[in-house]
Amino acid sequence: MVAKINVKNISKTFAAGSLKVKALEDANLSIKSGEFVTLVGPSGCGKSTLFNILVGLTPPDPGGELHIDGKHQPSDHLLGQVAFMPQRDMLLPWRTVLDNAILAAEIDGVPKRRARERANASIERFGLQGFEAHYPKQLSGGMRQRVALMRTFLFERDLMLLDEPFGALDALTRSLMQRWLLEVWEAERRTVLFITHDIDEAIFLGDRVVVMSARPGHIKFEIEVKLPRPRAPEVVTAPEFIELKRQLLGIVEEESLKAFSAMNRPLLADAKS
Amino acid sequence: MNAEVRPQSIAAQLVVVPLLLVVWEGCVRVLGVSADKLPAPTVILEVIWELRVSLAGAVGTTLLEAVIGLIAGTIFGILSGIVFSRSRIIERMFLPYFVGSQAVPILAFGAIIIMWFGNGIASKAVIAFYLSFFPVAVNTLSGMRSVGQDEIGLLRTFGASSWTILFKLQLPAALPAILTAVRLGASLALIGAIVGEWFGATQGLGAVLLTAMYEYRIDYLWAGIVLTGVTGVVMYGAVSFIQNRIAWWHAEA
Repeated sequence: MVAKINVKNISKTFAAGSLKVKALEDANLSIKSGEFVTLVGPSGCGKSTLFNILVGLTPPDPGGELHIDGKHQPSDHLLGQVAFMPQRDMLLPWRTVLDNAILAAEIDGVPKRRARERANASIERFGLQGFEAHYPKQLSGGMRQRVALMRTFLFERDLMLLDEPFGALDALTRSLMQRWLLEVWEAERRTVLFITHDIDEAIFLGDRVVVMSARPGHIKFEIEVKLPRPRAPEVVTAPEFIELKRQLLGIVEEESLKAFSAMNRPLLADAKS
Repeated sequence: MNAEVRPQSIAAQLVVVPLLLVVWEGCVRVLGVSADKLPAPTVILEVIWELRVSLAGAVGTTLLEAVIGLIAGTIFGILSGIVFSRSRIIERMFLPYFVGSQAVPILAFGAIIIMWFGNGIASKAVIAFYLSFFPVAVNTLSGMRSVGQDEIGLLRTFGASSWTILFKLQLPAALPAILTAVRLGASLALIGAIVGEWFGATQGLGAVLLTAMYEYRIDYLWAGIVLTGVTGVVMYGAVSFIQNRIAWWHAEA
């Protein structure tokens, strides 16, 4: 079976004057169609750089290759192909909930009326019924995040990249949103790559957890999560869950320590000028 | 929402007007101030009523000049702000001249404008335009520049062209700043229209003020001052109203 997305030897070096920082080095990752992959790694390991490359905002260094559905994709072809949800919700304050939710679809060329009809049909699933005409500043953080997710879902792409969508939420809202996201996802089974800092979240959501190394980032480790779906909240106390968590904690901590000691080294130690 | 538009605060502001008028009237009568120095409000109102037809014509003329100038200045200001925001080179080439143009006082070349554009409405509208386009251009530019790269990037991942980004993101984001500049421009346009009338006009509030000065009619002069003030407040209020209607979200940004 052809992978939904195949990342081959992607590297990225940022140059600021004579200073060069290698953010990614030979990142390799393959995601099957309909798979939910979660990506964890220490701060500054290049997760967001990888995302920016996958959505076409940042060109990778020459040498690597990206394939979607088996087709080679040059960086400038990627814009508009992947549904991307950044960390901040970035809702437009002058648009209502409904009009924010259809923004991506509207830009994609769906006529406004049709886009609104579609949005109205799924507004309940996103828990926003009754709030269609509200403006973003009238919403709680959790609701804003749901509008941003709805915007991402209504941009009908098979591949979705979610960059720490629940990072700013309190623990309780966060776990509610995780369960809700799984429900929404299980209804459509689109391919998801989900960045998080939180190992519990990564295991709870993912079919597979992928760990990135400290900078320069590459895929250090991956492990399948064989917990059955749909997953109940209690799954976090299951022995398999605990065992996965123990393994992952060890690896992530090792990388975090490397990242931490790299921070205490002068930055130039990484750079080749 | 904007604190200025709360009904209670408008009511509180309006209470001041009759209060001020009563104090004014009382002081003039009690202290016996001569009408040459400061006529009582009732005297001024009487003059305005007496001359209502010609004064209404004057207000209409000046308002028309100022509004035409303001609309032209707003359109030109927004367009040049857009052009500057899309090209650093054009901005570097032309923006310094925009700034420089504002350093030359209109009083220095008002006469030339009258010679070029005639004695009628056009020349005053040109001066009103000249005073009002600059703040609009600058605020359009800075409003559009205030949009973050992350927001622009997000729209690009939806496949947006740079024109789509302009119309769906940058211009709406700049709208509160643009309208703030138009509000300032409204006051400047009125000044421009009146200054233009001073350089040569037979109609308009500027002409009323000038004639009253030459004829030493203090009561006419005060009638002109009051109507100029009212015209200014109306223009400012109209723009504020529009701003609160179409760019109400600026409290958040």
